[in-house]
Amino acid sequence: MNSERSTIIRKKDLSLWERMYIPEIVKGMKLTIRQMFAPTFTTQYPDERFQPPASFRGRPVLVEENGVERCVACGLCSRVCPALAIEVQAGETELGKERYPEKFEINMIRCIFCGFCEEVCPEEAIIMSQEYELAFTKPQDALFGKDKLVVPIEKVQTRLNFLRANR
Amino acid sequence: MSEIVTTPPTSSTGRTLRTEEMILNMGPQHPATHGVLRLELVVDGEIVVDVIPHIGYLHRCFEKHCEHMTNYQQVIPYTDRMDYVASMTNEFGFVVAAERLLKIQVPERVEYIRVIMAELQRIASHLIAIGTYGIDIGAFTPFLYCFRDREKILDLFEMTCGARLLYNYMWVGGLSHDIPPDFIPKAKEFCAYFKPNIKELNDLLTYNEIFVKRTANVGVLPADVAINYGCSGPMLRGSGVDWDLRRDDPYSIYNKFAWDVCVGKGEMGTVGDCWDRHIVRAREMEQSIRIIEQALEQIPEGNVQAALPKRIRPNPGEVYARIESPRGELGYYIVSDGSATPYRIKARSPAFSNLSVINEISKGAMIADMVAIAGSIDIVLGEVDR
Repeated sequence: MNSERSTIIRKKDLSLWERMYIPEIVKGMKLTIRQMFAPTFTTQYPDERFQPPASFRGRPVLVEENGVERCVACGLCSRVCPALAIEVQAGETELGKERYPEKFEINMIRCIFCGFCEEVCPEEAIIMSQEYELAFTKPQDALFGKDKLVVPIEKVQTRLNFLRANR
Repeated sequence: MSEIVTTPPTSSTGRTLRTEEMILNMGPQHPATHGVLRLELVVDGEIVVDVIPHIGYLHRCFEKHCEHMTNYQQVIPYTDRMDYVASMTNEFGFVVAAERLLKIQVPERVEYIRVIMAELQRIASHLIAIGTYGIDIGAFTPFLYCFRDREKILDLFEMTCGARLLYNYMWVGGLSHDIPPDFIPKAKEFCAYFKPNIKELNDLLTYNEIFVKRTANVGVLPADVAINYGCSGPMLRGSGVDWDLRRDDPYSIYNKFAWDVCVGKGEMGTVGDCWDRHIVRAREMEQSIRIIEQALEQIPEGNVQAALPKRIRPNPGEVYARIESPRGELGYYIVSDGSATPYRIKARSPAFSNLSVINEISKGAMIADMVAIAGSIDIVLGEVDR
């Protein structure tokens, strides 16, 4: 055993008053009582909602413009995704963009909210929205198809403006 | 702890009683192990004879995963998840290594922003370390004050890069985007707000007689043992070794700032005890504030993505780059075979080396002191197991 290492060297001898710990407790309580009258830092969550700034990276969504999603199913987001969460299947369309995602699925259990899909997208079609309340009761619920992913452009306008200013 | 009973206990009739060592499992669900660590304690009564740490509960194949990425950029979100309370410094280490491999120079504004972010992250990480250490010892209040201040740092990070914990902010050759215009005034405001809080925290916890009694002369780590086990960071500096990679192996632009390396001096007991490791962390926060204040004054204008390469394809070769993370020396060893994917990445995590010394410093301690010793090492299991 390392008895030479565990010898006690006490530099100052404590008086009885100090040994009673009372000054320390009073000092601690003084601070605690002061904090009771200080402004609070917490928010009452279900009643008060946190408003994320424009830079916030929430749930990824597909931008819908003029009733149709912007995505041209190039598959870059699916390739760049470090967690392999995105699955895209392309189909042909009569519209000017020629290709559209027949199937676009994000597995929200896999998604790590890194924002690479948004960064790599040439069409600004996949955007990190401000939604942060993501709770599932079943793993199947976490597979977000086009029905859940497509949102109108007005809802993500702040994020689009932020990306234009910062890229 | 001061004296160890060596004479075997005897019964009333004078017969020698046989004593046995007992094995006690601490963890993996023990709150004081800060994650999923199992400490197998061999105890003789109340005295700890041996400690065997069992790790690997949080192993996520970081190194193997990196070999299967499509490019170097994709590694960065994974480095975030190694040391999840100090993500910025993990990214910092990786981008420093990758940039050395690519031989690219990043713009000066990028270096300044990276240093500001890394130092803010160091404060946030030390606040967690100090706060949870208080909880381990039995002081609940400092924990709440630490988290209140940490929240302000996380707000700064959130307005910059959009995430509060896993940032993905530093990219190879630059940053994901520039700091917003109101970042600098808000960061200055934070520095002014936080400085008196360090003193408040020290009054409340560091010099508290109960806290000193629990930590001084406990878990003494002599300097030679610390060096032999490869300890780094506050663990090594707490033992009185004057070694900080920011000063001794400068990376980025740390040589432009005036600041001091904090070393444990054994003010309350022996050099290298738990209290020394704690005070090194508390004083490092002051020094980090000094660095941030200087960096905020000097930060130049410029583009933050000037050097961002479109395709990262380093020449065949290898590189080892190390930085000072809040826990110590964080190194990345990258081998490139000329393709867009790293051939091999090895991360040298400081928490792993720091944890390995636990057996050495807790022999002869009481079981209750084990909590104080394990807390003072400040491990993050995400980094130990990777």
